Amino acid sequence: MMAPFEYHRPRHLEDALQILARNGRQIKILAGGTDLVISMKQGLFEPEVVLDVKGLRDLAFIRYQPGAGLSIGALATITQVATSDVLIRHFPVLAQAAATVSGPNLRNMGTVGGNLCLDTRCYWYNQSYSWRVSCGFCLKKDGTVCHVAPGGKLCWAVYSGDLAPALMTLRAELKIAGPRGERRVLIESFYVNEGRAKFDLRPDEILTEVFVPPASADCFGSYQKFRIRGSVDYPLAGVAVVAKKGPDGRIHDVRAALTAVNPAPQLVPGVNSVFGQQGAHADLMEEVVRLALRSARPLKTSASTMEYRRHMLAVMLRRALSALLGG
Amino acid sequence: MSDYTVIGKRTAMVDGPGKVTGLGKYTDDLVLPGMLVGKILRSPHPHARILRIETEQARAVPGVKAVLTGQDVSTQYGILPVGRDETVLAVGRVRYVGEGVAAVAATSEKAAFEALQRIQVYYEPLPAFFDARASMQSQDLLIQEDCPRNVKKEYHHHFGNVDEGFARAHVIRQEHFYCAQVTHAAMEPHSTLAKFEDGRLTVWSSTQTPHYLHRTLSSVLKLPMSQIRVIKPLVGGAFGGKDEPLPPEIIAAGLALHAGQPVKITCSREEVFYLHRGRPATHIDMKIGVTQDGKITAVEQTAIQDGGAFCSYGVVTILYSGALLAALYDIENIKYDVYRVLTNKPPSGAMRGHGTVNTRYAFETVLEMLAEEIGMDPAEMRLRNTLRPNTRTVNDLRVTSYGFPECIRKVVEASGWKGKWGKLPRGRGIGIGASHYVSGAGNSIIRADLPHSTVILKVDMDGGVTIFSGTSEIGQGSDTMLVQIVAETLGLPIEKIRIVSADSDLTPVDLGSYSSRVTFMAGNAALRAAQEVKAQLLKAAANELKAQPDQLELKDEAIFVKDDPSRNISYQGAVPLALALSGGTLIGKGSYAPPPEARGGKFKGAGVGPSPAYSYSAQVAEVSVDMETGQVKVEDIWVAHDCGRALNPLTVEGQIEGSVSMGLGQVLQEETLLKNGLVMNPGLLEYKTPGSLDSPRIHSFIVESVDPEGPFGAKECGEGSLGAVIPAVTNAIHDATGAWIRELPVTPEKILKALAEKEGRRWPR
Repeated sequence: MMAPFEYHRPRHLEDALQILARNGRQIKILAGGTDLVISMKQGLFEPEVVLDVKGLRDLAFIRYQPGAGLSIGALATITQVATSDVLIRHFPVLAQAAATVSGPNLRNMGTVGGNLCLDTRCYWYNQSYSWRVSCGFCLKKDGTVCHVAPGGKLCWAVYSGDLAPALMTLRAELKIAGPRGERRVLIESFYVNEGRAKFDLRPDEILTEVFVPPASADCFGSYQKFRIRGSVDYPLAGVAVVAKKGPDGRIHDVRAALTAVNPAPQLVPGVNSVFGQQGAHADLMEEVVRLALRSARPLKTSASTMEYRRHMLAVMLRRALSALLGG
Repeated sequence: MSDYTVIGKRTAMVDGPGKVTGLGKYTDDLVLPGMLVGKILRSPHPHARILRIETEQARAVPGVKAVLTGQDVSTQYGILPVGRDETVLAVGRVRYVGEGVAAVAATSEKAAFEALQRIQVYYEPLPAFFDARASMQSQDLLIQEDCPRNVKKEYHHHFGNVDEGFARAHVIRQEHFYCAQVTHAAMEPHSTLAKFEDGRLTVWSSTQTPHYLHRTLSSVLKLPMSQIRVIKPLVGGAFGGKDEPLPPEIIAAGLALHAGQPVKITCSREEVFYLHRGRPATHIDMKIGVTQDGKITAVEQTAIQDGGAFCSYGVVTILYSGALLAALYDIENIKYDVYRVLTNKPPSGAMRGHGTVNTRYAFETVLEMLAEEIGMDPAEMRLRNTLRPNTRTVNDLRVTSYGFPECIRKVVEASGWKGKWGKLPRGRGIGIGASHYVSGAGNSIIRADLPHSTVILKVDMDGGVTIFSGTSEIGQGSDTMLVQIVAETLGLPIEKIRIVSADSDLTPVDLGSYSSRVTFMAGNAALRAAQEVKAQLLKAAANELKAQPDQLELKDEAIFVKDDPSRNISYQGAVPLALALSGGTLIGKGSYAPPPEARGGKFKGAGVGPSPAYSYSAQVAEVSVDMETGQVKVEDIWVAHDCGRALNPLTVEGQIEGSVSMGLGQVLQEETLLKNGLVMNPGLLEYKTPGSLDSPRIHSFIVESVDPEGPFGAKECGEGSLGAVIPAVTNAIHDATGAWIRELPVTPEKILKALAEKEGRRWPR
């Protein structure tokens, strides 16, 4: 059951921005609908106005020019990203991550912008209204307590997108349009590590484009995702790793990012400097794992246990790094 | 090979085109003029007294046409005569989160929801039980007043003498197992449409058991059965989740009576989890003794099933878990103590492989442990313990056709077992398991001494044949099966046969699609009905051909003298003669009731377990286990299923593959998680049924033991292959890793823990 709402489907970005400006906090942006519609049925959002941006056809592009970088419109579908020859060749980590998102039909519907702006998820949150009445509301929606970390004042709902960590390793920037014009932010500063705050996007703004600088092209890359089924599932932990390999065989520009283990996707700090040090690869790898585990705090927000998700994070990181070092 | 023309041929489902094109109608596709939306208000408490319900504000919501509470429909009902402990809406007390408390019918979904929110229910919460073993300890706090220790039902059966049996054993092993609660996850959520017009109630419902629904509607709503018509439209899967009358079905009818307008209730996926009736969380202690040469001397089982708040099929579930221990292997001494325990959770019920699946996992695992202990090949050990065809088991089950040994040999050979078992590298393993199931229950639930299935045939002027059957096609292919049997018997192509099924105004009584009874029972009834029609055709043709009926053959749309086929008449030509001879209507009827020998012994509880025939299944699974992550990939499964005769190999294989997929879900990943009685994963995103990418290569082998009493020799194929999947996989995991897992589902973490334990480490470190 969905509450009634006013529906807009503008064809131009300026019109979309005006509709946003007029409606303040009572508006939600609809793109593929694969996240929002379900949440609306569960009563998690009851917007008075829904702004369907699928009419902004100009934002469904993928453009790459060597030396100029990669631009992806916010309305490009996940399928486009997963199957783009250019991405598979020059930005493999991103294509790999896209290919793991949900299942084929949802990849056809889901968009890059929608995936990046995915709501944070939690067992105690992604439930119907009557379920939440039975349980008692939580502080992410209608309540004052956290069922995951009782006594705490923070929301631990987990960010579960697959594209964001891949884009973080590629030093992506996001273009955001708003009433005061366009602003650009580094993707890692877009996210806020709190389940309710989620990201730095004001109610009158729209994420329009992802830009990846030319220097990030042609990295070795690997995206590893832990989930229970071979398809459909959100990650229970995800790791993106990229690196470049010098003519001497040594790797450099190593970056790693995590998803589904915190309220925000996060770059693992200090990874590249680890690989700047001398030492056996195995030891350096363990140092990276240590750094990653230090920044991962999965709580009991979804299937599997905290311990096992941390274990999988370490295993996946080792495997991704080994593949890069060997490859 | 047989010389049948229709039987044994891969035959597309007769109801397939509508399903593929989307033109087929499921209950939720049906729309009637003036139809209202029905919604149910559900309890937020696992256990509470209802002090007061105020519905005035809800009735005042514009568009609301009817509001019901438990007081309006308070007659207790339940699928089993011994378990009539439910009301469609709670009366005085709620016993699980999600139990219905009130219901509304309104002109829109929005009005219905608004009305639900305006119903004021005042509760006094009570302490609740979420674990069967804890619930059994309760002295004074009872979930149902007349069930001391919260035990709904218990049986303590002892056949032979297990003490003597264990005394003869060289090795005895006893182990504890736990199986998590799982659910059917049929694609179609439950849906019911009801209308009350001119004093008659018509109900369209997604049900496996229209006849039991018919009876229950009559008793709860106080209407004679003749004033009720039950119709089952297409059903999108059921697996036991729709095989008893469920609250929304009766509530929709009750709302339609009160509102005077049609009412439809279609459950959300979350509500399907509250209806539940799936496989109970089960604790099993399994003790088996074997001699040095691998012969089983005795088995003793204690099973405690978490039944949830009501009986449902519970009495049958516990009895199946015990009684069917005797019907797979030759075991002289069997003892079981089985308990159905009440807890404050949605009621468990029947689910594919009803009662046998968790027991089979425990049994086949202990057997594997014993084989390892005495150093015997577990496949060989199973072969040493087979029954013989045409035996009576120690608990008075009659076993007739028995293709189990051939099933074992088939999968052992096809999988390359002898070159693999115990010989694969660490992380790769192979395992074997076995299971079986009834081809329908020997005794009907309603305990009436009537046929279990009846089929009527009507031949039209142009030779077309219509089958009227009360059977419930739920996707398993029963309509197609009946069409095949009639076509074969009358020598007609299946295009000439139509079927009208599961409409109580038109079709004779059939008990429904449960306990894998339809092929055996309705199939036999259809066969007899067709033979009756055939006899009339032959009689008419005999007059024409100046021959005796027994000299004639009916085949390929022609009737001819066996010794002189040149003396013949076409089927088409014989039909008007037979119509004239039979007074203008050419009809046939046939029915089936299990023979007395297949209805079990005389002791209390003997009624559950007997069947006219049993199906058998042996399976080998080969798995890869990632030793670092504990993740299991099932690479291949070889399944051999003895279904007597495959009337339609296409659907037999489909049932085998479906059983494998469902078994894989239960063994590796499925679990209904509850916290304080609240289902944490009431949806198909977080309840992890496997998908196509999770499927192994499935190699199906059909074993045909040709049952002496089955129609064309057929037995069941829909349930018997589920139970073996689980132990085949867990035994393969053991072969791969050396670890024993005694708890379902076998998550990667449990494997890592078991490995760590085995090596004296802790996990997580």
